[in-house]
Amino acid sequence: MDKVKNTEELKVLQSTLRKAAEEAASSKVVIKIAMATCSIASGSKPVLDFFKEEMPRQPLEFIIKSTGCTGLCHSEPTVEVTLPGKAPVMFGHVDVKKAAAIVNDYIKGGKPVEGTVEVCRS
Amino acid sequence: MKAQQLKIALRNCGFIDPEEIQDYIANEGYLALASSLSGSRQAVIETIKKSGLRGRGGGGFATGLKWEFAAKPEADRKFVVCNADEGDPGAFMDRAVLEGDPHSVLEAMAICGYAIGADEGYIYIRAEYPLAIKRLRIAIAQAEEAGLLGENILNSGFSFKIKLKYGAGAFVCGEETALIKSMEGHRGEPVSKPPFPATKGYRGKPTNVNNVETFANVPAIINRGADWFAAIGTEKSKGTKVFALAGKVKKVGLVEVPMGTTLRQLIYEIGGGILGDKQFQAVQTGGPSGGCLTVKHLDTPIDYESLIAAGSMMGSGGMIVMDEDDCMVAVAQFYLDFTMEESCGKCVPCREGNKALYNILHKITHGEGTMADIDRLKELAVVIKSTSLCGLGQTAPNPVLSTINNFYDDYVQHIVDKKCRAKRCRALLEYRVVEENCIGCGACKRACPADAITGELKQKHFIDQEKCIKCGACHQKCKFNAIAID
Ligand SMILES: Cc1cc2nc3c(=O)[nH]c(=O)nc-3n(C[C@H](O)[C@H](O)[C@H](O)COP(=O)(O)O)c2cc1C
Ligand code: SF4
Ligand code: SF4
Ligand code: SF4
Ligand code: FES
Repeated sequence: MDKVKNTEELKVLQSTLRKAAEEAASSKVVIKIAMATCSIASGSKPVLDFFKEEMPRQPLEFIIKSTGCTGLCHSEPTVEVTLPGKAPVMFGHVDVKKAAAIVNDYIKGGKPVEGTVEVCRS
Repeated sequence: MKAQQLKIALRNCGFIDPEEIQDYIANEGYLALASSLSGSRQAVIETIKKSGLRGRGGGGFATGLKWEFAAKPEADRKFVVCNADEGDPGAFMDRAVLEGDPHSVLEAMAICGYAIGADEGYIYIRAEYPLAIKRLRIAIAQAEEAGLLGENILNSGFSFKIKLKYGAGAFVCGEETALIKSMEGHRGEPVSKPPFPATKGYRGKPTNVNNVETFANVPAIINRGADWFAAIGTEKSKGTKVFALAGKVKKVGLVEVPMGTTLRQLIYEIGGGILGDKQFQAVQTGGPSGGCLTVKHLDTPIDYESLIAAGSMMGSGGMIVMDEDDCMVAVAQFYLDFTMEESCGKCVPCREGNKALYNILHKITHGEGTMADIDRLKELAVVIKSTSLCGLGQTAPNPVLSTINNFYDDYVQHIVDKKCRAKRCRALLEYRVVEENCIGCGACKRACPADAITGELKQKHFIDQEKCIKCGACHQKCKFNAIAID
């Protein structure tokens, strides 16, 4: 990244990045996978790898992000999926099998998949 | 209305990619630093003071005041230190912040550096946190590349560098004076205060030490204003607190709630209640320095003063929920075992006193205690608390005192009846053959390592209590429910 030279530049950069993120969210499938120590310990790595391998095969635009701790130790590994224009949905206890169901049923089919988790977003 | 979480320190955790500075910047990242640099140092301190933010590392000292103390002295060098030692058993609040949102801590440290007049910061982090270390390294490199850390930040003339120092995971090294000693390459032993680090800290220079979570609140306060923050929480405890909710609760995890939320709301509404819908027995807060609270304390609001008044403390955010199957005497013994092991040994009351406390607890949980031991525990505890040099020794007896206060009957039961209601204290268990169920298969006899079981095949078997070492093997082997534990 180039050096940010002053406050003005930082503000411009911030709003550009913000807009880009919002635009992406309105047109692409955003998949966030928690990759904190606790998530990794409960098996999030293969899940991340699965999405990275599987999503490019789909005729969809998408973004995959690894995030930090969601605080949902009781449901790790967790995956949050936001379909364009829809509210984010958090899935808990995701293994590769459930990840496949998320891709086929929820992302492609728009059908609910069991095992969602309530999240605090305030 | 159901109690809700409110995420300030954890505002970005789980939402952004911690390895992408762009994600942080898109979420107002480094704007608080930019706006701080455009005003006076004093203005930053005033904002933090006005917000009412208090230290989240355990002590609850007013953060703005601490910054002011470090800002005052004239010195050629000053330092900012972030305490990421996090040694309480069961605590992982700080690890989550560092893994999920490292830039918020870096930004806050730079703001603090500007406020107190320091150009160098250190994060003291335990080497057992490899992922947090990796993400911090990435974050520091990205911030330097973007000109948001390092020389002449945003052309303001202010420079600030951050380095990592690794701890070996000794609990006492989380105490700020021991931490500074350890940073200097000495043994991690506490020294008496004053002088406080704010006047004489790292390398003898004024040093401001704050906890990870304390720092993580700072950019949000600067961005949204002191009044916004001060409107959250209670009169004396502002903002939110992150807790690592663990133990016998349905939704184990990391939660952040406004100060003033009650223990009941936290455990039942946010934590979903007790696992298996069993009976709540106690909640431990404050880690090895804290205490165990009971049913009658469930409506205590979570704030620094109320928790102390109830006989525990806020601590750094460990919260362990216990149900009817937990033995409170054994819990006290567990914490004592921890502090006894972690005592640096510098002063006698802590080194010898806590060992003596532990030995008495050991006697009690092994059915060898007397009623006089309870008084002895109390007496010793008071002496240790008032004569130890650092916070470790001064608070180590708290789990013992709070369990004696709140669970006196459990102590009496162990001492007088030689029984453990929760069946946790092995030495007090009695393994017994239930004659009507025993078919005389002999499985228990073959498994017993102490030759304590007698009986002919197809005859009722019998356990000799004198010989039994209470290993539980017979109970495991018997397929006919014929071994009872009393
Ligand atoms: C035995 C002992 C262990 C401590 N461990 C920690 C720790 O792991 N992390 C922490 O931030 N503070 C710890 N503290 C408190 C620090 O001494 C210090 O008060 C704190 O880092 C100050 O930051 P704050 O004002 O932001 O809370 C510990 C104190 C004692 C006595
Ligand atoms: S109270 Fe304990 S840990 Fe603290 S200095 Fe004394 S011996 Fe060391
Ligand atoms: S294993 Fe059970 S049934 Fe068999 S002899 Fe022992 S107590 Fe009796
Ligand atoms: S508890 Fe262990 S020692 Fe006691 S009778 Fe059973 S197998 Fe033998
Ligand atoms: S520690 Fe972050 S989800 Fe468990």
